[in-house]
Amino acid sequence: MNKKIIINPLTRISGFMEIDVTIENNQVIDAKTKGNLFRGFEQMLVGRNPFDAVYFTQRICGICSAAHSMASSLALEDALNIQPMEQGRYLRDIIHCCEFLQNHIRHFYQYTVPDFVKIEQNPLLLSDHDDFRLPKAINDRISQHYFDSLPISRLAHQMLAVLGGKAPHNHGVFIGGIATQATAEKIVHIDSILQKVIQFIDEKMIPDVYEIAHYYLEYFQLGKGYGNLLTYGSFNDYKDLGTLYVDPLVATSKSVEIFDENKIQEKIDYSWFTSKKSTNQPSEAVTVPDMEKEKAYSWVKAPRYDNLPFEVGPLARLILSGAYDNKISAMDRTIARAIEAKKIAEIMKILLQQIIPGVDVQKKYELPEVAAGRGLVDTTRGALGHWLGIQDKKLSFYQIITPSTWDFSTRDNNGYRGVAEEALIGTPIQNPDKPAEIGRILRSFDPCMSCATHVYSPGRQVKTIKVF
Amino acid sequence: MKPYILPPESMTNEAISSRLTNSALTNIDKGLIKKKNLVYLELNGCSGNIISLLNGQNPDFEYTLNSMVNLRYCNSLMASEGDRAIEKLMNTLDEDFILAVEGAVALKNNGLYNVIGSWEGKPLTGLQAAKMFGERASHILAVGACATHGGISAAKPNPSQSVGLQKVLPQKKMIKLPGCPVHPDWFLGTLAHLLLYGEPETDNMDRPLMFYSSLIHDRCPRRPFFDRGIFAEKLGDKTCLFKLGCRGPVTRVDCPTRQWNGHVNWPIGDDTPCIGCAQFGFPDAMAPFISYDTTKVVKNE
Repeated sequence: MNKKIIINPLTRISGFMEIDVTIENNQVIDAKTKGNLFRGFEQMLVGRNPFDAVYFTQRICGICSAAHSMASSLALEDALNIQPMEQGRYLRDIIHCCEFLQNHIRHFYQYTVPDFVKIEQNPLLLSDHDDFRLPKAINDRISQHYFDSLPISRLAHQMLAVLGGKAPHNHGVFIGGIATQATAEKIVHIDSILQKVIQFIDEKMIPDVYEIAHYYLEYFQLGKGYGNLLTYGSFNDYKDLGTLYVDPLVATSKSVEIFDENKIQEKIDYSWFTSKKSTNQPSEAVTVPDMEKEKAYSWVKAPRYDNLPFEVGPLARLILSGAYDNKISAMDRTIARAIEAKKIAEIMKILLQQIIPGVDVQKKYELPEVAAGRGLVDTTRGALGHWLGIQDKKLSFYQIITPSTWDFSTRDNNGYRGVAEEALIGTPIQNPDKPAEIGRILRSFDPCMSCATHVYSPGRQVKTIKVF
Repeated sequence: MKPYILPPESMTNEAISSRLTNSALTNIDKGLIKKKNLVYLELNGCSGNIISLLNGQNPDFEYTLNSMVNLRYCNSLMASEGDRAIEKLMNTLDEDFILAVEGAVALKNNGLYNVIGSWEGKPLTGLQAAKMFGERASHILAVGACATHGGISAAKPNPSQSVGLQKVLPQKKMIKLPGCPVHPDWFLGTLAHLLLYGEPETDNMDRPLMFYSSLIHDRCPRRPFFDRGIFAEKLGDKTCLFKLGCRGPVTRVDCPTRQWNGHVNWPIGDDTPCIGCAQFGFPDAMAPFISYDTTKVVKNE
């Protein structure tokens, strides 16, 4: 007999998400992930001063705001035809590193750990399921690390603020790199904090994730999904340093190839939007919200690459960079996030060593009458893209495809589910009244519904947009 | 008889909020004050205020969580999920609790643009929750720009018809803590004041005077440049950022002395203009945030 399980809200994520699964003989046979908030950033941005996009789009998301400052700055540089100096890139990427560290540490300890560890210090942090397997000593140690991690993730934001003014919603990242100049004092300030963060990752975070994995081995078999991986590239293509992490790549079970941005499309067959076409290029999508639409069930659209759903995020990056075996599961995703935290900290060290104090990377920028640009960057949760158009020196078009839109997309007209939906299919549910498995698998993707559901564009097409 | 003559207590904002929280904690430890329930609702927004509160150091967030209040509901942090999470939320309704709300209230489609959970088989909208809990709370804190006046969520053309919390609770007194996001001290210091002495003194727009009393411009370290007419022409310059669009002259809050993230920096310290994120009207009334031609005549503004 079929049984339906609805989890709403799925807590310990950024934003609001509902998950509806159907189970038969205690196995998931169908799943729908639903984004449950809507603000409409893309429409809000039209008519605004293009420079404002950098600070404005950060407000899409409180946990990964710097990511949006990165993508919008890159899109504006593309539109204004500005080549940032390498020093500017390094400084900007250091800010981005700080955000990775803040985000990965918080996602692991505050969002993931309560799924596996019985945290008894505070009733708020105690899960309702009864599938706790860690021996008491290990359980208590990781419980304590939940609290020990808070000063560390806070320090990651403090490093960000040293160069970025404040966090969340920094003022540093901008066209050309960052606003201010590095000084010797700032560099050593950041470096001294970074050592503490690295020590925490080495001594606590990475051992903790392997401890958990050891007692929950079946999660190496659960939550696989389609197995298609994508990255726009991360900390790559520096003039002198080359690629520190990963180049833009896509992989399916058949092949690994260079990423081609022309193959990205966004579908809205099952999303609460209407448009002339249900499949659009990112630079042309014009959709209007419509909650009455038949079959639709979410505010999240369905981006596809070459018509296929792709997973993005730390595990995709690690595998595509060759630093992790090609194993895809809920537990591998969680481990990848901890390993990546270490990787990012090392990249940040390298970048800090390149910084020359006192270099001013800012100019007085002129706005073109008409232009278009896009900024594609891999951020904490995966591939993030901003596409913008400028007319009469104002924003005339804005489109954002976030990592969580990739991972938590709705199904499409070709019968493909979203990546996270597919990852749930076949999952055995031990206790349908208190299902622990669904939340664990979904959180392995680090869902950010604030990001995934920001959107809609007005029903006015911009004629001058170039097709990328 | 006093054995020592102590120097006067430091009157910086920093020191005051530190003294407040420390004495609140001491009194809780002694059993003089009862720990209160706190319900933290995240509505239509970016959940950036709760992230900012995790950055709190004065006191730190873990101390607040474990020693100052019983945090009964918080979407970002609580272990429970689904029906059980909403049950825990509903269980607080008949108890005494402080309500903190971040995010705006989305009115469109009767609130369906922001569903925060499911209750009795139906979607629970942010709108319903705001009214239900706002009516019963002993104190209400509107946390961050979206909650105090709509903020970014209500930016033109406001597709979700988002409004600030007061709009859906017109009769209720609430303390407003604008900021995008709120500074952790503004929230935690206000909370400590509530626990210790009741509601803090507020201005005529419900902002606690201890944080929101002076203009950024009046305490800006770059004020001498303004007075002498020396202005920055681009980001990264070290002089007055007024002509790039700095909103310090219209924004009442203590950023210049408090600073952010462990008091290490702030937007003007980063050589960028203040964008007025802690002032009512943000973002539309503060746009454009950055312009290189403020002194020229601009058409269609």
